[in-house]
Amino acid sequence: MAEPSDSPVAAAADPVTAKALEALQAALPDAVVDSVLTGQHPWIQVRAQDLRATCRLLRDDPALRYDCCHLISAVDFPAPTEGEPHIDVVYHLVSYVVRPEASYAKRAEKNDPFLAIKVSLPREKPEVPTVLDIWIGADWHERETWDLMGVRFTGRAELPRILLPEDWPGHPLRKDWEFPASYHGVPIIPPEGL
Amino acid sequence: MSGGTPEGPGPDLGSGGEPAGAVEFHERQEAVGRDVRTEEMVFNMGPQHPATHGVLRVAVKTDGEYVRALQPHVGNIHRCAEKIGESVAFYQWIPYLDRMDYLAAMCNEHIGCMAIERLGGIEVPERAEYIRVIVAEIQRILSHLMAIGVYGLDLGAFTPFLHQFRERERGMDLLDHLSGGRLLYHYVRIGGVKRDFSQDWLDELEAFLSSVETRLPEYNTLLLHNRIFQARTFDVGIIDPAMAAAWGVTGPGLRAAGVDWDLRRDAPYSIYDRFDFEVPVGHSGIGGQVGDCFQRHWVRVREVEESLKIIRQALAQMPEGPVMGRVPKGFKPPAGEVYMRGENPRGELAVYMVSAGKSDKAWRARCRGPSFSNIACITEVAEGMLIADLVALIGSMDIVLGEVDR
Repeated sequence: MAEPSDSPVAAAADPVTAKALEALQAALPDAVVDSVLTGQHPWIQVRAQDLRATCRLLRDDPALRYDCCHLISAVDFPAPTEGEPHIDVVYHLVSYVVRPEASYAKRAEKNDPFLAIKVSLPREKPEVPTVLDIWIGADWHERETWDLMGVRFTGRAELPRILLPEDWPGHPLRKDWEFPASYHGVPIIPPEGL
Repeated sequence: MSGGTPEGPGPDLGSGGEPAGAVEFHERQEAVGRDVRTEEMVFNMGPQHPATHGVLRVAVKTDGEYVRALQPHVGNIHRCAEKIGESVAFYQWIPYLDRMDYLAAMCNEHIGCMAIERLGGIEVPERAEYIRVIVAEIQRILSHLMAIGVYGLDLGAFTPFLHQFRERERGMDLLDHLSGGRLLYHYVRIGGVKRDFSQDWLDELEAFLSSVETRLPEYNTLLLHNRIFQARTFDVGIIDPAMAAAWGVTGPGLRAAGVDWDLRRDAPYSIYDRFDFEVPVGHSGIGGQVGDCFQRHWVRVREVEESLKIIRQALAQMPEGPVMGRVPKGFKPPAGEVYMRGENPRGELAVYMVSAGKSDKAWRARCRGPSFSNIACITEVAEGMLIADLVALIGSMDIVLGEVDR
């Protein structure tokens, strides 16, 4: 991960991303842990307990209006070069509405990048509050993240698996996941290289 | 499909000796509420149902012919694409991208290769960029032809399906002659494309383009302007802009909802900023309501015309030169991450890649399949619909289950 520059807001490639960080720092001064606004993948890391307030702000602020949770991913770091083992959950947000007039007409500028919000969770107990009620489309992404990476999303009624069967052992995208010897009596031969 | 009530008295609609057809619709509704004991039942549509476009199972709770609630169940053809993505070298992952959305393999390859190239800072020659755009737009035409034809099939119109498959077959031959594969190509590579166009192939392409151009209006007389088709799709399955954004519906579904947004025009990647084309957006002037099944179909038809324009412009502008850039042997990109979004026929494909550095494998290879979000939306849209309209709705979303399950 790159080091944050001295003034991330000034160096930001995209004005809306810079506005998002400014708004976050003004409304939730303790929420932002780290941020990199330069380069091809700008991101803001927030504390897990502030995630819902962050998301609400990003969705409802007239200058920001991130109205779509494009993708939720989780990345496993079992042995990082620095810090404790952790799992990062990354929320990629985009906006389809034209800011700030809230119309869906053709927009003037020819660039509208995403914003990535990161949350770092302890690896033994990765739990993060749900954003299902903020963007309904987060539902299946949260289920998939639980299914494949074992991140528990709290505050929602149920969290069933989505791609794998309910009784599948473990969460396969964890780096230390091992192939089970068999599943329902069918032996499993792991492919080479996996 | 059978969804009727198993028992209970027949509806007593003809009070006063009038035929049932003469009673207004809402009065009939009241009569049903008064006289007939209804019973909710849950049944499965799929996973082998032809109208679900693959192995999708939808558990539908019905009340007579009405859908009260539904839950799609996916994952039947989960092939661990993301697990494989972090277990094989970067270049080895490209064929797996093909197999996600197998109706838009060229577009998937294009976006996937661009993500890896951005990660490693690889330059692509000018001519290769043009070739990529041309093959991606051919793929978009083929994918939309499939969607248009099969949608007719869903709604009981068999003829347009057969006619459109004639054009689709020609297009698939075209890509076959270029890459050696009919459906899955592995033609776009990291740093460029596998081989250059030949003059014979360009002649073949010209014949294909002009045949699509002349035949498309004929297809529209069969489907788009067909009164029965319109009656089945007007005002059915309406998705408004806010709903589309909240659910993450992208592509033709988003544009039909009235959102004037296309990544190729509004956040141009590759060389899409060099072409002049329109973005069709649903509006009330074309019939039906903004965001209904008809408008989604109309957007696809219009996008075929726009793709033809883009291909013609690209052919005219295309420079000479190499088609493969310099890619280091044992390609190991520096540590970093990239989020590459691209406009696929079905919506926005996004590839999120994390590289730990000093490795020829991705640390994390994550894909956003547009169909995954598009199909999740039907849980909200289908409530209160007729079962027959549910078929129209699922068909209009144009999903590919290979991409939902990955």
